Amino acid sequence: MKLLFVEDEPVLIEEMETYFKSLDFICEKALTFRQAEEKITSYKYDVVILDITLPDGNGIDLIPVIREGNPDAGVLILSAKDSVHDKVRGLNLGADDYLTKPFFVEELNARINALFRRKAFKGADEVSFDDFRIDLSAKLLFHKDVTISLTRKEYEMLLYFVVNKGRVLSKASITEHLWGDHFDQLDNFDALYVHIKNLRKKLVSASGTDYLKAMYGMGYKLNF
Amino acid sequence: MKLLTRTSLSQLWLSLFILLLTGGMLMAFLQYEVSTEIKEQLELQATMVADEIRADRPVNFPLVSIDTTKAVLDRPEIFRDTQIYDPLQDKAEGYYYLDETRPINGKKYRIKVMAAHIGIDGYLKAVVYIFITMAILFIGLGALMNYFISKKIWQPFLNNLQKLKFYSVSSQENLVLDGSDITEFKEMNLVLQDLASGARREYSALKEFTENASHEIQTPLSIIQSRLESVSQFELQPEVARFVVDAKQATHRLSKVNKGLLLLAKLENNAFPEKQMIDLKEVIGLKFAEIEDLFANKGLKTELGMQSRTINANPFLVETMISNMLSNMLAHSPANSTVKIVLDEAKLSFHNEGAPLSFPSSNLFARFSKAADDYKGNGLGLSIVRQICTVNGWVVAYEYRDMEHIFTIRFANQHPISADTA
Repeated sequence: MKLLFVEDEPVLIEEMETYFKSLDFICEKALTFRQAEEKITSYKYDVVILDITLPDGNGIDLIPVIREGNPDAGVLILSAKDSVHDKVRGLNLGADDYLTKPFFVEELNARINALFRRKAFKGADEVSFDDFRIDLSAKLLFHKDVTISLTRKEYEMLLYFVVNKGRVLSKASITEHLWGDHFDQLDNFDALYVHIKNLRKKLVSASGTDYLKAMYGMGYKLNF
Repeated sequence: MKLLTRTSLSQLWLSLFILLLTGGMLMAFLQYEVSTEIKEQLELQATMVADEIRADRPVNFPLVSIDTTKAVLDRPEIFRDTQIYDPLQDKAEGYYYLDETRPINGKKYRIKVMAAHIGIDGYLKAVVYIFITMAILFIGLGALMNYFISKKIWQPFLNNLQKLKFYSVSSQENLVLDGSDITEFKEMNLVLQDLASGARREYSALKEFTENASHEIQTPLSIIQSRLESVSQFELQPEVARFVVDAKQATHRLSKVNKGLLLLAKLENNAFPEKQMIDLKEVIGLKFAEIEDLFANKGLKTELGMQSRTINANPFLVETMISNMLSNMLAHSPANSTVKIVLDEAKLSFHNEGAPLSFPSSNLFARFSKAADDYKGNGLGLSIVRQICTVNGWVVAYEYRDMEHIFTIRFANQHPISADTA
């Protein structure tokens, strides 16, 4: 999968590049509006990650340029402005998703994966690890063709772990993914712990292996 | 005391003073003129009597007495008041008399002539009546005139006062005041309009500053957060790990506060004009479904008593409001208690059990006010809810009844209060 990051903040570009390269994505970057315009008109990308505030222009104005050259590309807006106006305008112009800074790179990854799957079914319809298989359209988990019933939150959490395999996911990152912006209070770490415990139990009883590893209060990691 | 009452009262006292003074002067003047006239007449009469005596004709005028016995020359003439009994009217009447001694034909005659007051009492009565009428007219017509002046001159002033009462510097419109042709009012309007536009400029600069500051903070926060997440990927010594976790939590909290402040600034900037019809019951149902497991995990029993209710509002704001209220309920309900959401045509209310507040309930909606318990929220949730209610013309209220905390949002069918309604 080929990604283009349009972002004027070098540290954030580096963070995104490092992570997505480790997941075997092909990553390119543009630090200015002009650079981005050049790349978009010359090459094809699967997903463009677009910062709105660029030193020499508004990222939203790049959306029509992207659409012109490559109608199938996914466009994900990154913004420091949690602005409904920008969001609505971006989505109307053909952006596919919107993420507000500060964001978790795992969340960005989950969004890019979902976006990639949605776009013309280019992505795999299922994800597997070891003997487990997740049917993404039916939202079901199988272990060697045996269905394992998961609650909705357990399913979402497992998928989040699988997409971000091998990465330590902080509690805040997982709670924000599961319950959104408003409910990621520390109080809810209890609920998170319950979900983790149940998911782990289900995975262990099916396969005999403990995939979910707790990391010194840092968070959790799925290993396989 | 109203200005009008004060000036009317002053005017009343002044009128009374002037009327009494001029009335008194008029009476004194009248009396003086009349008595001078009578004296002249009496002198004439006395001269005529003396002529008669000189001509040696018998003098037989009424109210004239001539005496030769007590006459003393060199005595000054006497002009005086006296009372004479009037048998016709059966009362004493006021008279003037002139008493003088004249030498006539070598003899001394003391001549005393008298004349009635010629109705001076009647004059005085007339003067009093006229002046009382004048006083009544002054007061009555003055009040009437004041009424019309107040209608015409004061009305724009009162209108403007009302406009000022309802004017808010956060309003989008300029302060528009009714014109007046009175110089002082014109000047005051100019000053007020200057003041209002200055305050509005300052206020919007402040809002802009808040918004810009929040935006500028977001990017460094993103860098800190992603760097900390990257650090977390390494095998860390437990002590370092603890430091990183603390730093991550603080960053996260900072980011929440910043987002909350940004939202408040935007709400005050009226940045959410897009409205649409929203089925509130459906939105609450969806929002609740997202976090049902959080309520279940805390052992909370949820009772939903909701009728269908459609509102015209901004969907993002409605979702934010519902999320904040649910979050508030979740955070402040004791484990294994019951929470209730009730929605009907007029209002939406959130009930949760719990001990009474340990602080005045008026602090609930203030920014950064926190409960005494170990609640980890940022203290902006409820002030955001109130602000959302305000922009929609709704009213949110808190009460504690039957061991329950109850937040009620009352919908109003009218538009939000603006300067125009004044």
